[in-house]
Amino acid sequence: MPDDLVAWHDLSVRYPYQERDAVGPVTLSLRRGERLLLLGPSGAGKSTLLATVNGLVPGAIPAAVGGKAELAGRDATSRPPAEWSDTVAWLHQDAEQTLCGMSVADEIAFALENRRLPEAEILRRVNDAMQRIGIPVAWRDRRTATLSGGERQLVAQAAALAQDAPLFIADEPTAHLAPEAAARLRTLLLEARGDRGVLIVDHRLDGLIRDIDRVAVLDADGRLFAEGEPRRLFRTHGADLAARGIWRPAASELDEELCRARIALDLPPLSVEEALRALDALGGMCREAAVAGVQSFVAGRCPAPSPLLDRESLVRLTDAACAPLFGPVVLRNVTLDVRDGDSVAILGRNGAGKSTLGATLAGLLRLRGGRREGPPGGMAFQNPESQLMAGSVREEIAEALGRTVAKQERLQTADRLLADWGLAGLELRHPFELSQGQKRRLALLALVAADRWPLIVLDEPTAGLDAAGVEALSRRLQALTQGGRALAIVTHDMDFALRTCSRAVVVGDGGILADRPMIEVARDGALLGQAGLEEPAAMPALRWLEKHAPC
Amino acid sequence: MLSRLHPLPKLVVCLAWVTASILVFDARFQAATILIAAAALIALERKSPLVVAALMIPFALFGFGFLTTSVLFRQESDFALRMAGETPFGTAAFSAGIVLFLRAVACGMVSVLFALTTDPGGFIKALMANWRLSPRIGYALFIALHLVPDLAAQAQQIRLARSMRSGRPPRRIPGPVETASLAVPLLAYAIRRASRAAIALEVRGLDGRTRTITAAPRLGRGDAWFVAVAICLLGALIATLR
Repeated sequence: MPDDLVAWHDLSVRYPYQERDAVGPVTLSLRRGERLLLLGPSGAGKSTLLATVNGLVPGAIPAAVGGKAELAGRDATSRPPAEWSDTVAWLHQDAEQTLCGMSVADEIAFALENRRLPEAEILRRVNDAMQRIGIPVAWRDRRTATLSGGERQLVAQAAALAQDAPLFIADEPTAHLAPEAAARLRTLLLEARGDRGVLIVDHRLDGLIRDIDRVAVLDADGRLFAEGEPRRLFRTHGADLAARGIWRPAASELDEELCRARIALDLPPLSVEEALRALDALGGMCREAAVAGVQSFVAGRCPAPSPLLDRESLVRLTDAACAPLFGPVVLRNVTLDVRDGDSVAILGRNGAGKSTLGATLAGLLRLRGGRREGPPGGMAFQNPESQLMAGSVREEIAEALGRTVAKQERLQTADRLLADWGLAGLELRHPFELSQGQKRRLALLALVAADRWPLIVLDEPTAGLDAAGVEALSRRLQALTQGGRALAIVTHDMDFALRTCSRAVVVGDGGILADRPMIEVARDGALLGQAGLEEPAAMPALRWLEKHAPC
Repeated sequence: MLSRLHPLPKLVVCLAWVTASILVFDARFQAATILIAAAALIALERKSPLVVAALMIPFALFGFGFLTTSVLFRQESDFALRMAGETPFGTAAFSAGIVLFLRAVACGMVSVLFALTTDPGGFIKALMANWRLSPRIGYALFIALHLVPDLAAQAQQIRLARSMRSGRPPRRIPGPVETASLAVPLLAYAIRRASRAAIALEVRGLDGRTRTITAAPRLGRGDAWFVAVAICLLGALIATLR
């Protein structure tokens, strides 16, 4: 069709030496001016499908491609991928995948220079993009290598926006962003424009979904399983998506609970607030019936606080000055106590010092001042590859079990643990061959199996995981705390923090802004604003319940 | 001041001084070159004299090898000994060694002067704009510049993970065994990063064709003055020592 900006016709992709297709066959299109969200479980082939749009697969990444991908009415493979940069702007999950090591202004100008635009036009677009993203003019000549991870992500966003291409592709653009920065990106990315199509893959759907025109869902085999306008799609397929471990907005969960309570809102909601407004408009009888549904929704996302037991202190920081390895002090006067069975969320903006605090709690970083008391802790790093050292998955766990037990026994125990953690069948694979979710699971299992660390610190454990992966992780972490282990979880995911952690430490302005029960932090709008955080999706529902069912 | 100059005339001047340091076998010339380079860094670029002295150390260590070789193996240094025969430093072997030592330091200091006063990004842009360096090579150099600090950060994270398993905090400077064991994971990381970067460059439109280059360094009157003064100074120095 002439209005199709992107069209896949029975497209399938199989990488070399693989026994099954990475994606497809898929028939799907994106119209001009449309914003299409692509959903699917980990490994469904979403990124592969995106890479066929400009012929990156098979042009730069070898693969056998069946069917056809068209861009702007032309076969995607009819031009080299580089030439399609006049039509497609990409924003990757990781800014490292985009930036080349130049100054901020040069990075933003790069794609425009490649298109041989006049210098004056390039400078105008660079200034405009910096202004829209909110990049200070003082950064203009700074090398991107000197910026923090969050700041680099802003530069990558500005570079993609400056291209002003007819098609904008964003592959999990908010995965590493603090909530405030993620919200700003969504506003810029999804502004309605008749001349631009947006193709987005993301897991953080609340806030995003209201600006999406159409959703396409791939199943675990990489085939199109559902497609349609968001409200109807999540009403019709919401439960199925959850069963397949695919992300859906919180409002879809609430809608499902309400339907279960025999309240079917006329318009399926896209946000929790919208659903609650619709409930308020119902009569008293219906509202009473809705209470059960809202209660069930809140209970799943905001577990009742565990009773405060007088547990012993496990790790204590007193007036600590925390700094990354060989770096300057980023947090001062930190006084913090982690007890047995605690699960503490460490929250804050990008670059606030969350990971540094986590590593300090684990005893991995030397203090520049103050005192740390308590046994060493284990840490699951943001990049799980950093801690995977053995030649196979089985050896990784067998090594972690320690050498006090006979090797044969260790290997048997490793196989049993791998099966328990859903990694059966991968025993002989090299750890680096696993998917991101599997690597995270293996790294955490290695820590747990060692049984050496009463405190485990997890740095962004949900990044890149699908809903099923996060759900399973949450269950495993709860089991660990029930077993008496203490957890400190560095995360941007407020919903995960609320579901998993009983306490939150908010980091900002070079120190600790708050150390309170997680639910109190989630209720404190001023604190959330100060720390660049958003309230979890369940909070409006909790307030609604307190108003309508105070008991 | 030197930082504001166009990188390419500066490169030509520095190469001329390095070439002269190699060809002129006179300790006074080498010493003068070192002094001029150090003075330019201290007076024009406001570098600390201590930093400048510290920067000389690796070149001095390198040059010290020439000195000892020349003194201990004088029969193999016949040409250098004949060249240094009329210099005022004790024995001919020692004189030749001193010249070789100072030559290493002089070449090193001129290189340091260029490196400390030149923005790598501006230099690569100037090469692409003026000397037709292929953008593919130019941006590969940019990526390499970016990769170095990232490799260091990755190495630190691997060291932290290992120290966690061993139960000992990481040493400030890794020992030889630890360094060797970091090589394979860092190589794997570098290959993955380089592949991703290559794809990112292609997606953003980099190909072998000509492209607009914004904010490339431009030649100015200051560059002409710099070249004239530096070449005159070099000529005068050579003439004085003849």
